[in-house]
Amino acid sequence: MDRTDARLRELFAVETPPGLGRRLREALRNEPATLETLLDRFHVQATERGVSRLAYGRGHDVAAGRGRRHAEQARHELGEYLGGRRTFFTVPVDLAGVGEFQERVLAEAERIPFGEVTSYSALARRIGHPQAARAVGNALGANPVPVIVPCHRVIRGDGSWGHYAFGGALKTRLLELERTTPVLIGCTSTRIVCRRGCAHEQRIGEDRRVVFASVADAGEVGYRPCKVCLPD
Amino acid sequence: MDERAFTRVTEEYARRLYAVAVRMLGNRADAEDAVQRALLKCFAARASYSPRWAVSTWLYRSLTNVCIDELRRRRVRDETTAVDPEAASPAVHARATRRGVGGAASTPPTSTDRIDLVRALDAVPREARLLLALHYVDGLGYSELAAIRGISVNTVKSQLARGKAILKQALRAGGHDGSD
Repeated sequence: MDRTDARLRELFAVETPPGLGRRLREALRNEPATLETLLDRFHVQATERGVSRLAYGRGHDVAAGRGRRHAEQARHELGEYLGGRRTFFTVPVDLAGVGEFQERVLAEAERIPFGEVTSYSALARRIGHPQAARAVGNALGANPVPVIVPCHRVIRGDGSWGHYAFGGALKTRLLELERTTPVLIGCTSTRIVCRRGCAHEQRIGEDRRVVFASVADAGEVGYRPCKVCLPD
Repeated sequence: MDERAFTRVTEEYARRLYAVAVRMLGNRADAEDAVQRALLKCFAARASYSPRWAVSTWLYRSLTNVCIDELRRRRVRDETTAVDPEAASPAVHARATRRGVGGAASTPPTSTDRIDLVRALDAVPREARLLLALHYVDGLGYSELAAIRGISVNTVKSQLARGKAILKQALRAGGHDGSD
């Protein structure tokens, strides 16, 4: 054992805070509820091009012909997302009827990574209209497909939530869900790393899952990225 | 594993899980949150616990998964902030500031030697740092480290060696003697 070993051993001897055991036991008694129970409150409208509207509250799905397939896919992916088993949506969206400015805002909102937040003014700068934070807020407020296009990941510059079509309480719960859902999952037997929600990832057994912080980190210890979901 | 057995396991391992989390995440609040989340996940899956796993492997796998994902979020956040300083909210900035450098902000150092070591540890890549933490908190061997992270024993050895080499180099660069 060299001197660095001895110093590291000493460094890692962290003092336990008082009451840790009690707090942990209490936490185990209060298991958090899953958001998946809210799935029935979401209603999907879809055309043959994709999901055109997502509503929350009373109502029912509206879709005809090939639109039904999109509505079913949206409901399925939404359930997985709310259950913490999906971090991205693959169902197409139909933004016909949305103005050019709003379309750019929604496209930029879609680029915000799962689990992250940005501000209205930062998003305004990214679309080349640094003075248009309020207009960006209005465009997001009129987002026809919340959750799927993640306008909940945009908050005010002072850290407060701002308006959310489905209510501030749900915005809080969605952001909390994303904060506690891992994104990059590796399979210990195939040594492949996937995005959570990929069909291959969903087949990985509970005892074969390891989480990575980046694809580069996974590569350093012998994992390669999935060729289907292409994690970056 | 029933609820009573799980509670006993929790009490036995809480201190060590917490020590690993503090050194991975750099502050006590995030560490306690990570331990809590890891144990909740194990608790939810306690019925499917297989005795072919050591309890420590099972718990440390869950904890390292939570800690590594928290570090992923910080990486994305830091990159976003670097490109666009106003992109992150003040709350996010406050959280990043509270984290400090490798834990120096909230773990009271007892000497400059200790501060240097904490800072040097921050220079070690995440996967190697995680293995160092598990190795030095609990004295875990190569094969258990390999099982926890789902990697080969050879990779564990090379990562630990690499981590220590970077650590010593960082100590030397900081004007501190990193020699044996």
